[in-house]
Amino acid sequence: MASKTNPTTTNARPTAFSRRQLLVGGAAALGGAMLAPALTGCSTGAAASGEAQLSFWHPLTGGDGITMSDLVTEANQANETFNAEQTVLTWGPPYYTKLAMASVGGRAPDVAVMHAARLPGYAPGGLLDPWDTDLLAEFGVTEEDFAPRIWEKGVYEGDVYSIALDAHPFILMYNTDIAEAAGVLGSNGQLVETTSPEDFLEVARAMTDAAPAHGLSYGYLNDGAQMWRLWYTFYRQMGAEFELPVGGKAKFDEEAGVAAFDYIRQLLDNEIATSTNDYATAVAEFSSGDSGMFLTGPWELPTMQNAELPVDAMPIPTLFGEPAAYADSHAFVLPHQAFPDENKRRETYRLVANILQNSIKWAGAGHIPAYEPVTEDPAYGELLPQAHYVQASEIVNYDPPAWFTGSGSDFQNLFGQHMQPVLLAGADPAAGLRDFKAALDVLLSKPNPV
Amino acid sequence: MTTAAVGNRAVATAGPAADDAEATATRERPRNRENGPGWAFVAPLVVFFALFLVWPLIHGLYLSFTDQSMTGAGGAFVGLANYAEAFADAEMWRALWNTVWFTLLSTVPLVLIALVMALLVEAGLPGKWLWRLSFFMPFLLASTVVSLIWVWIFNPQLGLVNSVLQSFGLAAVPWLQDPTVSMISIVIATVWWTVGFNFLLYLAAIQNIPEQQYEAASIDGAGRWRKLWSVTLPQLAPTTMLIVILQILASLKVFDQIYQMMNQLVTPATQSVVVYIFDTGFTGYRFGYASAISYIFFAIVLIISLVQFRTNARRSA
Repeated sequence: MASKTNPTTTNARPTAFSRRQLLVGGAAALGGAMLAPALTGCSTGAAASGEAQLSFWHPLTGGDGITMSDLVTEANQANETFNAEQTVLTWGPPYYTKLAMASVGGRAPDVAVMHAARLPGYAPGGLLDPWDTDLLAEFGVTEEDFAPRIWEKGVYEGDVYSIALDAHPFILMYNTDIAEAAGVLGSNGQLVETTSPEDFLEVARAMTDAAPAHGLSYGYLNDGAQMWRLWYTFYRQMGAEFELPVGGKAKFDEEAGVAAFDYIRQLLDNEIATSTNDYATAVAEFSSGDSGMFLTGPWELPTMQNAELPVDAMPIPTLFGEPAAYADSHAFVLPHQAFPDENKRRETYRLVANILQNSIKWAGAGHIPAYEPVTEDPAYGELLPQAHYVQASEIVNYDPPAWFTGSGSDFQNLFGQHMQPVLLAGADPAAGLRDFKAALDVLLSKPNPV
Repeated sequence: MTTAAVGNRAVATAGPAADDAEATATRERPRNRENGPGWAFVAPLVVFFALFLVWPLIHGLYLSFTDQSMTGAGGAFVGLANYAEAFADAEMWRALWNTVWFTLLSTVPLVLIALVMALLVEAGLPGKWLWRLSFFMPFLLASTVVSLIWVWIFNPQLGLVNSVLQSFGLAAVPWLQDPTVSMISIVIATVWWTVGFNFLLYLAAIQNIPEQQYEAASIDGAGRWRKLWSVTLPQLAPTTMLIVILQILASLKVFDQIYQMMNQLVTPATQSVVVYIFDTGFTGYRFGYASAISYIFFAIVLIISLVQFRTNARRSA
């Protein structure tokens, strides 16, 4: 094949261009390509004479990403002094890698959203710049505006490194039609209060009888985060602690941990809930009205509303004594910049304050706004079902602090790795927890890379 | 293929000259004069090659002797500490074994199925172009698309595979979650995805077998099977060697489909060495240690390639 075509191609001389012309042309094209970014850089620079150009990174790609986009557009329109441009990146480990590397380079975006529980992996290494609380107060944002637990999550060694936009605790959604048919609605039209594991099993069984498929949807396969969220919720309800001292050994209550697993397995009996759902399938099951209840985060609310499902929601009922729910927060951070521009910094504060103060829109995406003047406003009380689970922000439990914990971290991944066999194949939970502990001890013994 | 093309070019240009020595002499000078612009043409590639391949290679080797963190912390020279840690790291050995296991599981079907498909198509199936197209088409898809498709096919509740199994009264299998089958599931998806490339190589090779050999075999009274065993397969041996080498190297690098199909969850049954390197370096921040594992893996791949090269050289000699 090659022997037939090659001689003709080699014999064909480039007649249209001489070699010199081609080189000159190529050089010109190359030069042009190199100049182009510089020119566009100039033009945005010129536009910036009046307003500060702010770059804003966030990992919000779901329904909440659309809401965030609206919030930023409105903030841009309401303020002549800045123009924020969003860069939306896929959530998960790659997002945090990119954010960390941008900070290391010293040319990070002006502001970014990250999960508050990831802070211990960022603040100590100088990847973030602290917020100036005086300047924040100037724009109307103070510590008093936040629930203490949520504010404190942003503090590291006395400095404030992240300002929470929301809390997104694990909650319980339910289908009001199925609940009504099952006879488990109270006089206020909401799901009856349950205060013990048996109570909740009873409600779940009633739901199972009334629902087309299952009483409860819970998806966890190949999803460490989902496994951790539910287990940690029940574990903390038992009053048990989980500590990860750097240089030490992981400390947790194995007995409570096993009890939490036993209970989850009672729920996943293939009648109340199927034991082989991944998250997407669970969303599909509940949103198509096939199941009565759904263990998830508030971010899934828009999905259910778009499906026109008769949906209500509540904090996860306190089954083991102490009110608690796994949670994390989307929080604003200032990624470290080597040479911050004073004016841009100031405008960044203005942007963040603006978004916080308008975060009733953010509640539309399901999340509970962290800025309390918003949730205390009567308008929020009328927002349903958001107002029915707003109390969940008082019982938030973030991941135990360590450089490797938080949303999208190795920690939740490791938990899933060791616990999936427990939920899926009935492996011994105590052995699973011990393996998990061994893996954590290895991480704790390694030098802290931050 | 490149060497063949270069050889042909030499023949094409030098061939018409009656005296070889004279031809070289007259061509010497212009060639020198052309070297300047020649370098200019090659320069972009050389610069990119140096910047994005050679430099990272050297820098990675340097990093493997430091405790550099992705967050900028560390960076002190630690000698062979990373290598010592790696050789004692059970997780690395498990990841290496998983990689080898994946390579074994995937290479055999990727070679055999490709061969059978190519033979079937050449054997004169009706609608040849359609077969060719459908066997090759999955290879054109991006790994993300392939992963999405197969995650749904393997979905324990709604997936195609389980609904077929259940319609025959068989139990549903959590294909990607059960550690005893998850690697095989990934291999199945990989075979479906990439077998088309090997198929194409075989098809080209089969079409290049001279027709005279079959004619000669017919005269000797060979039937279809005899021709397959004594003409086709021996003629395909060099192609098979090429495919096996390419396939082993490709399989050893497996990352995309595992990372995506397992929803980024690292499991003891499916963690390949590249997944481990990614996890250690990027999620775990430990650039220095991840570099050391990369170099250990690099050494292993190099040894495998050298062994293959040696055995090939001996065979063709």
